[in-house]
Amino acid sequence: MRLSGLAIRHFRNLGSQELELPSEGVALIGDNAQGKSNFLEAIYYLETLRSFRGARDQELISFEEGVFRVAGTMQPTDASVRSEVVAAAFERRGKRKKVTVDGAEPVRMGDALGHLAAVVFSPADIDLVSGGPSERRRFIDIVLSLNQPGYMSALQGYRKVLVRRNASLKTGQPGAVVQAWDKGLVTAGAVVMGARRDWVQGRGGAFGDYYRRVSNGEGARMAYRPNVSLEGATSGEDICAAFQEALSASSERERRMGTTVVGPHRDDILLRLEDADDELDLRTYGSGGQRRTAALALRLVEAQTIRDTRSQRPLILLDDVFAELDEGRSERVLELMEAEETGQVVLTAPKEADVRLRRDSLPRWRIESGKIST
Amino acid sequence: MSVIDTLTGEFARLPGVGPKTALRLVHHLMKGKKDDTRRLARAMVELADRVRSCDVCGNFSEDALCEICSNPRRDQGILCVVEEAYEVGAIERTGQFRGLFHVLGGRLSPLDGIGPDELHMDSLLARIRDVEGRVREVIVATNSSVEGEATAVYLEQEIRPLGPTVTRLARGIPVGSDLEYVDGTTIAQALAGRREM
Repeated sequence: MRLSGLAIRHFRNLGSQELELPSEGVALIGDNAQGKSNFLEAIYYLETLRSFRGARDQELISFEEGVFRVAGTMQPTDASVRSEVVAAAFERRGKRKKVTVDGAEPVRMGDALGHLAAVVFSPADIDLVSGGPSERRRFIDIVLSLNQPGYMSALQGYRKVLVRRNASLKTGQPGAVVQAWDKGLVTAGAVVMGARRDWVQGRGGAFGDYYRRVSNGEGARMAYRPNVSLEGATSGEDICAAFQEALSASSERERRMGTTVVGPHRDDILLRLEDADDELDLRTYGSGGQRRTAALALRLVEAQTIRDTRSQRPLILLDDVFAELDEGRSERVLELMEAEETGQVVLTAPKEADVRLRRDSLPRWRIESGKIST
Repeated sequence: MSVIDTLTGEFARLPGVGPKTALRLVHHLMKGKKDDTRRLARAMVELADRVRSCDVCGNFSEDALCEICSNPRRDQGILCVVEEAYEVGAIERTGQFRGLFHVLGGRLSPLDGIGPDELHMDSLLARIRDVEGRVREVIVATNSSVEGEATAVYLEQEIRPLGPTVTRLARGIPVGSDLEYVDGTTIAQALAGRREM
């Protein structure tokens, strides 16, 4: 998939612009605070229908405007397949989001997700490694929601039951009333846990491999650490049983805390350095460079997942990511990106000299105060 | 406040009716025959004065016992539990159910502060206990929403020890629809609940 056209209206400081994107991609060059990241944010909005920087929709609307809109034309690699237009708009007043695919509103918003097949690499990715477990859960939830049918609805179902179960606990309802939510929680939760486990196990090798290549020989591992022990659980029923057992065993504690204390809402993904003798948690013991490398490896695994599950070369969005890596590491990331089956690349850099990926082939655009000149 | 304003305000409180629709309804009544309007008003007064809930099942009724509960030909051994009284009508219209009903008056909804005590659950359990084994089956027909499911699980826990078989309405592909237009969750449920032919 490649993005052949982008129409932006009142998105952050980007104003209104219509752009045609070259098939190989583009390098967007501009000083700080001119809108480089906003441009990538606008593009990636079409993938997840929200800001990758965690901004709320109304914050994306230009000051003094009432509505923003982003529309992208997606051109499948196979030229005989018709292109597709995904558009997303948000209105400040009604707090209303409208998404269309080829002009028609999908039955569910979720049906419009993932049309772009893109991955963003951003300096904030270091939080995936340094931050708390919720950062890593968010990461895997997005990856699986976009790439695994049924995951998102299970996750939404799980959250829905969880709030209600917690409300029952908080108001001190009798045990039987709290337990009434168990079946729904367990059924949805088991799907979530199973998918997370399979993904981490299936992609763990690739993570280690990417990490090794970028760090030039150093080892790292990724492991799923479910809050509910899944030891010996293979089938979906096993996972359900394990979860139900953990719930029942914690009934006294959850009563005391007034909230559900076990379940995938407390999962984590461990990222560890492989040392000669022992394994060190990257979150605690990793250096800045090691953490950045691990974050990059996670994004590369995300791109690989898109390639494998959607049979598409992902659109790579690079938000000035090499600024903080040492020379050797950034060289090797670049080699890796060149070597992997990446599709179109949109990258941002403060200076011409910072454009290192596809140095000779990427067209240069400039951005100043949100205005892009091609 | 004028009569028109008062009536418009009253209409606007009805579900699905906004101020504009309310005004349109009022204009329509003013232009129509006065007798029609009086008949409508009388029907509403009678609704308020005469319709109540059945003492036994909670269904709409004009007497202490509703038509279904007072019908000796209904099967006293099967109870169908629904969330709201208007859902009784939906099941009755199928003509396929000959048992009795029980209306819960809602469903477990902790976010709205609704627990078992706010619903007609005690009266349901009492009904089953009082006839000592004569209720063979309880069909739980709560909705398939998150709350409806939890309500069903709770009822099952409470009813099973009293003896009756507890069953749940089947969920799956709507009759007459094409598989390709049915959402994944529903198909998954239909697969899980498939039956031998």
